Amino acid sequence: MKDKLRLLIFVILVYAAFIDAAADGKTSFDVENLSGPKARDLYYVITRDMDAALLAMSTGQLDVLSDIYRPVDVGRIAESGTADLSVASSFHAFFLTFNTRKFPWDQKILRQAASLVVDRGRWVRDLFSGYCEPLTSFLPNISPYAEQTISRQYGAEEARRRMADAGWTWNASGWLVAPDGRELPTTRILCPPSSVAATTTEIATLMAEALMSIGAPAEAYPMDFQTMLARVNVGDFDACTNAWSMSRDPDVLYAFYHSSMDVEGGYNQSGISDAELDNVLHELRYAPDEPSARDASTRAQARLAELMPVIPIYSRYSISAIRNDWNGIFTTDLTNSDNLLTLISMTPKDGGERPIYWNITEEIRTLNPLVSSTAYDWVVLGTVYDTLISTDPYTFEDIPWLAKTWDIEPGERGSVITFTLRPGLRWQDGRPLTAEDFAYTLKLIKDNNVPRFYDSVKDMENIEVSPDGLTIKVYMGNTSYWHLHNIGGMIILPKHIMENVPDWRTWQPTNRPHKADDGTELTELIGTGPFIFRESRTGEYVHMTRNERYMLYDGESAK
Amino acid sequence: MKSFLARLGESIIVILVVLVLNFFLFRIMPGDPLTGIVDPRFSPEAKQQLAAQWGLDRPMSEQFFVYAREMLSFRFGLSMMSGTPVWDELKNRVPNTVALLLPALILSAALGIATGVHAALHRGSGSERLVMLGGAVSFSFPSFFVQLLLLMCFSYLWPIFPLRGTTSVPPPEGFAALTDYIWHLALPLFSLVILGFGGFALYIRNMMVKAMGEDYILMARARGLPFRRVVWNHAFRGILPPVLTILLLSLPGVVSGAVITETVFSMNGVGRFLLEATNSHDYPAAGAAFFLLALLTVGCNLLADICYVLVDPRVRREGARE
Repeated sequence: MKDKLRLLIFVILVYAAFIDAAADGKTSFDVENLSGPKARDLYYVITRDMDAALLAMSTGQLDVLSDIYRPVDVGRIAESGTADLSVASSFHAFFLTFNTRKFPWDQKILRQAASLVVDRGRWVRDLFSGYCEPLTSFLPNISPYAEQTISRQYGAEEARRRMADAGWTWNASGWLVAPDGRELPTTRILCPPSSVAATTTEIATLMAEALMSIGAPAEAYPMDFQTMLARVNVGDFDACTNAWSMSRDPDVLYAFYHSSMDVEGGYNQSGISDAELDNVLHELRYAPDEPSARDASTRAQARLAELMPVIPIYSRYSISAIRNDWNGIFTTDLTNSDNLLTLISMTPKDGGERPIYWNITEEIRTLNPLVSSTAYDWVVLGTVYDTLISTDPYTFEDIPWLAKTWDIEPGERGSVITFTLRPGLRWQDGRPLTAEDFAYTLKLIKDNNVPRFYDSVKDMENIEVSPDGLTIKVYMGNTSYWHLHNIGGMIILPKHIMENVPDWRTWQPTNRPHKADDGTELTELIGTGPFIFRESRTGEYVHMTRNERYMLYDGESAK
Repeated sequence: MKSFLARLGESIIVILVVLVLNFFLFRIMPGDPLTGIVDPRFSPEAKQQLAAQWGLDRPMSEQFFVYAREMLSFRFGLSMMSGTPVWDELKNRVPNTVALLLPALILSAALGIATGVHAALHRGSGSERLVMLGGAVSFSFPSFFVQLLLLMCFSYLWPIFPLRGTTSVPPPEGFAALTDYIWHLALPLFSLVILGFGGFALYIRNMMVKAMGEDYILMARARGLPFRRVVWNHAFRGILPPVLTILLLSLPGVVSGAVITETVFSMNGVGRFLLEATNSHDYPAAGAAFFLLALLTVGCNLLADICYVLVDPRVRREGARE
């Protein structure tokens, strides 16, 4: 059965790559070729239990299912024949982190040896039936900046040989002894309990066995997840398991490995502190342009492979399913089917008109974009609000979205980013969108230190808007290529609504009525995105309708 | 009356102690609301801004004063996770929880009492064995398994009930909305009744067997009273106080234990809210949920005391003597 599933996945992957890359010869995405949204109604339906969601999909009560991660569910969907699966690599990354602040994991040679006994391929095969990929980079494999710097070579013998060459010995019981005579204490690998994350506990156990194979005493140490985070946060651990959701930009390496981030609440959990690494990470974070950033990223990853503060283990595939009675499904080998482009293009195969039922596995907590923090909230908010630039689903390069063109150049004090908006953009209530709205959004966030977007705007110093309201220049206080993505990836809020919000922290846009220019009753949740918010029932569903003022909407093609 | 007032005073003291413990216990727990943010794009500086927004940078005494004021005024403050008033969050969830759990508890108890008494009166019969077996199965089967099985049977293979939620999507209007709501609650309610009656049935059966062997029952039968009256007015009335205690004190446990039912049937209730608030260290939300649970527990305890007085003349007489 497992072999059949593996074969199935392989076929799907090859099919997805072939269909999208080869069938129409596309290597990059042109937003102008897209039109929509085509469906009139969209319901985000909250179904928490995956088994219930699978049953609902097979009976036609759900059309789109995201976040499928159990191999058994993939098999069930494939066998049901009612939905098409799509699989793509993702930005998920799972690491084993060592506490390099204390003995024995402050010893580089020991960390390097530990890396050699991680049999990623077998672990992924045995634990995930092949539905994940081994990770041999400090960035997820899908990242355009990922360098395969870590050797896939596996073997306890080689690890032991290197330890011996470095002067390490083994005592009569077979446990390692450091060159200065210190014996190794037992390494406790902190991990969540198996009732919460069975595979993570299993990986911690496998890792402990692997460490013991070179003579390092170790054990998996499951504990409550919050307790584990609290201990890791203050450096009270030997080693721990971590899973991260990363992004396409490699400057995240700065957050993980720069010594200045080894503070409470920081993400340098390993506590690695290395002058050479710090320098190259600084170059990466403040790179003036993309080639310099790429060069710094490559060097940073090479240095990390030498220092090995963490061991990359695996990355999860992103798997989604859409009922096969829909057309317009958009996938590439980097992007699976549950994306905005699919949402815009979906039409029933029978040519009729019916709503899209899109599953969400947790309830929506708030639709205030300034405080919302969960991925589920952002599934909805992502269809309401737009950004200036977006990402090419074939290459992960920047593509125009609300901004028609953009430029980043060094200025007197730091980077100067210029965006020119598409002409004729309108908010969902019919008012025109101008660069003034964007300037107001940036000022609102900067002046109020809105935590969610604080890091994107903290270096911003000044904003200029052209008299025609189409061009905006953002002046930053320092130079960094990543400012382009941080600022260009910000949502834009309507100035005419935000000016009347008494307190951004308690603003509940969906509870405040707002009239569109044509008299339609809406709420203050107004963006420029493809769908307009209509109604939400806590824990049940969110109802959206097509935005016929959307920049890609073409009435004729929608019919 | 005097003893009731004394019990009321004790209950208020218990509530105040819980109020204080709620504040400190959540803060003693490992981690804080910021620990759970594991997003490399969220810097330590941004976390400090968030702490300031949530008032976590204020002195502990000030935080306690704000907390106590919000709890005692039943406003409960703002949820850290959603920025909405906790009262609004609870208001959305409590009706679903009550609409599901109250009938479930009443029906489970009624079915448990009926089958338990029947088994006690038919000792050694096939029906007693059936009740004993049914009770044991109902009591011991994991709820998620039974509920998923019911979903599979009655929502998929024979689709007479909905798969999820408390409303259809889109929901009907007018009176149809009420019938739609009942239709959605039917299967979760049925599952809770069949999972819950077993414990009651076994307990009642054992108590009734013991009661039926008592001298006062023999006396009642010797007086020539109708058997039905002996069973219900004498034997059952004798075991009523402990039954009421179990029934009333199981209510808070049922509310906090509703997480699985709410997850399997994708229902929006208090149980899951409680779990999520605790896991995410959402102090105001978790504090409010636990405070309400404490109120429910103390209230049920007080109600059980009142019921004792009503159903047991000995307690009434003792109270009068005092």
